[in-house]
Amino acid sequence: MNEVKIKSNNLNVFYGDKQALFDVNLDLNEKEVTALIGPSGCGKSTFIRCINRMNDVIDICKVTGNIEIDGVEINDENLDVVSLRERVGMVFQKPNPFPKSIYDNISYGPKIHGKGETKSELDEIVERSLKKAALWEEVKDRLDEPGTGLSGGQQQRLCIARAISVNPEVILMDEPCSALDPIATAKIEELIDELKKTYTIVIVTHSMAQAVRVSQKTGFFHLGKLIEVGKTEKIFKNPDNKMTQDYITGRFG
Amino acid sequence: MSNEHTVKSYEEELQFLVDSVIKMGSLTESQMVDSMDAIIKVDKDSIDKIIKSDDEINKFRSKIDTQIMTLLVKRAPMAIDLRETISSLKISQDLERIGDLSKSNAKKVKPLPLDLPEELLSNLKRLGELVIKQLNDVLDSYVNKNYDKAKEVWKKDEQVDDLTYIAMESVIDFLSKDKKNLDFSTHLIFATKNLERAGDHITNIAESICYLIKGEYLKGSRPKGKVIQE
Repeated sequence: MNEVKIKSNNLNVFYGDKQALFDVNLDLNEKEVTALIGPSGCGKSTFIRCINRMNDVIDICKVTGNIEIDGVEINDENLDVVSLRERVGMVFQKPNPFPKSIYDNISYGPKIHGKGETKSELDEIVERSLKKAALWEEVKDRLDEPGTGLSGGQQQRLCIARAISVNPEVILMDEPCSALDPIATAKIEELIDELKKTYTIVIVTHSMAQAVRVSQKTGFFHLGKLIEVGKTEKIFKNPDNKMTQDYITGRFG
Repeated sequence: MSNEHTVKSYEEELQFLVDSVIKMGSLTESQMVDSMDAIIKVDKDSIDKIIKSDDEINKFRSKIDTQIMTLLVKRAPMAIDLRETISSLKISQDLERIGDLSKSNAKKVKPLPLDLPEELLSNLKRLGELVIKQLNDVLDSYVNKNYDKAKEVWKKDEQVDDLTYIAMESVIDFLSKDKKNLDFSTHLIFATKNLERAGDHITNIAESICYLIKGEYLKGSRPKGKVIQE
C-alpha cells in the first residue's frame, strides 16, 4: 500500500447549527484513487471540499479537527489558501470551462500562479496538460475555439486538463461523470487510471460500479459519519458493516 | 438476509434464484435416494425413471443459468447479493454433476445379478446412506444459511472416504474369490467411486455455502479418509 498523503483527524464540519461531518478519521494514500460513496447529503462532498478548503467560501461553515497533507495541517490560519488550491485541484459534477478559448482555459491557471512566463512555456503546458487529459488529439487544431463549444465529455476532460495544468499533487473529483454518457464516462475512467500514476485522486461517486472500477480504497459515509473504509474489493464483496452492505446492495431506506 | 431491497423485483428475482437452487437440490436428493434404492434392491424397473429425472435436473441447471445471467446484467449485484448469485451458479453445477453420478449408478443396475450377496451390498448401502445424509444436510444448511452445519458436512467427507475404502475392499475381496464375478464387480466398483465423487461435490457445495455466508473461503485442507490407490 502506498504512503498516506492526506490524513483527517476528528474532522467536524458545521453549516451554521447543522453538523455535516462527525469526527471523520480518514487516510488517503498517495498515487491511489479513493472513492467516497453514500446517499445524498451524507457528507462526502463536504469532506472533499475540506481538502482544498473550498468550505472557506461559505460564511456559516465552521471546521474543527485536522486535515494534514504530507503531515502539514492545512486548516492553519496562516496557510496560503491559493497555493493549497494549486496543490489540490478540483473537478466538479457539471463541466464548467471558462467562457474562453480552449487554450486560455488551460493557460489561465499557470499564468496566475506564475508558472508560465513566456508564450512558448505556456504552449508547452497547454499541450502537456491536454495530452495528459487525453484531449490533445481531439482539439489540437482548434485551440482558439471556445471551450464551451466542446461536447460534455470533452468539456470535462478540459476541466481535468485545467486542473492538472498547475501541476497539482491531489485531484478531487465530485461526481465527474454524472452528466456524461457511457463512452465519455469510460474515457474519464481510463484517464483516472492513468492520472493515478502521478496524482492522489479522491472521487465522489453515486455509481457503485464506477467506484469498483476506478478506486483502490472506498469510504462509505452516512449522515455525516464515515461508517466504513477499506480496500475497494473488500467493501464491495464482503463489507464488515451491515449499513455499508445495505447501501451497496440497494436495501437502504 | 438483511432488509429488503428498495427495488422489489430485485428482491423477488434473488428469492426466485434461491428457490430454484433449493428445488434442484431436492430433485437431486430424491434421484440419489432412488438410484441407491435401485442398486440395493437390484430393481431394474426403476432405471428409466431415474434416468429421466436427470433431464429434469439438467433443465433446472439451464434455468438457473438464465436467471443468473439476467440478474448479473440487470442488477450488477454487490456484496451478499453477488455472493448469493455466484454460489447459486457453483452449487447448481455441483448438483448437476451429482445428478449425472446418480444416473450413472442407475445404469449400473442393469447388468447386476438378482442374487448379490448381502455382505457385498451392505457396505455400499452404508456408504450410500451417508452420502444421502450429507446431501440432505448440505441442502439444509443452504436453506437455513447455517455456516456451522455446512462446515460440519465439509469435515464429515472424511467418513465418506473411509466407507468408500471399505466398500471397495469388500468388492475387490469378492472379485478375488472368483474371476467370474469380474463383470458385475466392475460395475459395483464404479458405483462406489461415483458415490465418493458425489461426496466431493457435496463438500464443494458446503464450501460455496460457507463463502456465501461469511464472504471468505474455508481455510486449510479438508480432512481426508483412507483412499484406494487409483
